[in-house]
Amino acid sequence: MRLDLTLGLADRPGQLLKALEPIAKNGGNIISIVHEREKTSGVYVPVSLVADFPAYENFRKAREELEKMGVTVMKSEEVIERANVTAVIIGKLDFKKIVDTKIKGLRIVDFEVSAPTSRDACIKLNIEVPLELADEAMKELKRISKEENAILVCSI
Amino acid sequence: MKLLIIGFGFIGKRLAKAIRQKNELFKRLDEDFQIIGVSDSRGYLLDEKGLDLDRLSGIGRLPDYPECFVKGGSSLEMMEKSGADIMVEATPTNIRDGEPGLTFMRRALNLGIDVVTSNKGPLVVAFRSLKNLAESRGCEFRYEGTVAGAIPVFSLVSECLQGDRIAKISGILNGTTNFILSKMYFEGTSFEMALKEAQERGITEKDPSYDVDGIDAACKVVILANALMDRDAKFEDVERVGTRGITSEAVSLAKRSNYAIKLIGTVDKTLEVAPKLVPINHPLCVHGTLNALHLETDLAKELTLVGYGAGEETVSAVLNDIILILKKKISMI
Repeated sequence: MRLDLTLGLADRPGQLLKALEPIAKNGGNIISIVHEREKTSGVYVPVSLVADFPAYENFRKAREELEKMGVTVMKSEEVIERANVTAVIIGKLDFKKIVDTKIKGLRIVDFEVSAPTSRDACIKLNIEVPLELADEAMKELKRISKEENAILVCSI
Repeated sequence: MKLLIIGFGFIGKRLAKAIRQKNELFKRLDEDFQIIGVSDSRGYLLDEKGLDLDRLSGIGRLPDYPECFVKGGSSLEMMEKSGADIMVEATPTNIRDGEPGLTFMRRALNLGIDVVTSNKGPLVVAFRSLKNLAESRGCEFRYEGTVAGAIPVFSLVSECLQGDRIAKISGILNGTTNFILSKMYFEGTSFEMALKEAQERGITEKDPSYDVDGIDAACKVVILANALMDRDAKFEDVERVGTRGITSEAVSLAKRSNYAIKLIGTVDKTLEVAPKLVPINHPLCVHGTLNALHLETDLAKELTLVGYGAGEETVSAVLNDIILILKKKISMI
């Protein structure tokens, strides 16, 4: 899992290097790191980093060790890579079926409906889903379209 | 080298004309190059000394060359009597059982005759067995004209991407549906109107289902999968949605978001033909009767080829296949 972290380090030489040790020891692979000296508040210097951990448990151990060292974990958020899917669905469609889809993290970013009451009704959807669920989301859209006797035209 | 043409329809006639037009090139490669036989369902022409190219390219039907015409003679009989080196198989496509082209190709290969074809049917039905038969008989088997007409996709991959692994192929594989969808995109016309215009212009048949229902594109998907990605795909393996349900409302809705709707054939983990949204700045977004093929490979990454996919332009692919065989055979002598 990928985590977006902000650590609060004491403003003393060598603190950053020390703070990276528990992360590496617990399997964390650092993807990016920004030392935000200009955002120093009081005695802390914030450091923003993105790191991949094998599992949440590894991060939890790293966090415990960091806190024992006096490093504050100011923010820890999972980074979810998202795929953007655009599709046009031709035919009358119960839109609620898409809204109610069981795909975790599916978000309808925008939609546009054309001729909703005619037989030429169609809808353009822009959907965001976690990257690893993109294929599943497409399958679900296909299933719903088929069920509704509509034609799904998705992006290449 | 002695050449036979099986099928004297659209491609057969134009091929005869093209060989006459490029005769100097053929003679430079092989001064003994001749078309010695041409057949169709009514009979055949055969002259082992070579048919007269001026006459052959001027006739509309084989009986118009009476001194060499064998009325009711079969293509198989001509093949066996001819002693030919290369056969061009250009009979009409039949995707149910590949016949009669499949029998002609098998017989030719068994007789040790190299085969060039633009006929999709036999390749859809029996690609692997034809390929194996050609290899076992030491024959050339070339089929550039079967997919996307003048676009040299098989030659490109076999000659220029020898170290690459093809991961995905997608493309506009049918010019008729691209013409219809382009009309809808640019002029806002309905599917029915655009189809009518395609029929009036002779771009599609009276029964357009072969094009608009994605059957033709699905055949090409099967051939691409088998020839370039070493699959053993059948026509039934292709998930297929045609273009009949595409409305002008949908086309205009897509257009407002900078997409065009195109019928796309895809060879990926699965095989599919379906209308897709193509971003207008994507290299596959070509219009009119153009075809386009987009290859994704491990080394070259992405390649797009654009060209005309049917009609007269297909002769370019057939001619090139013949020339490649001539060059290969001459270099072996």
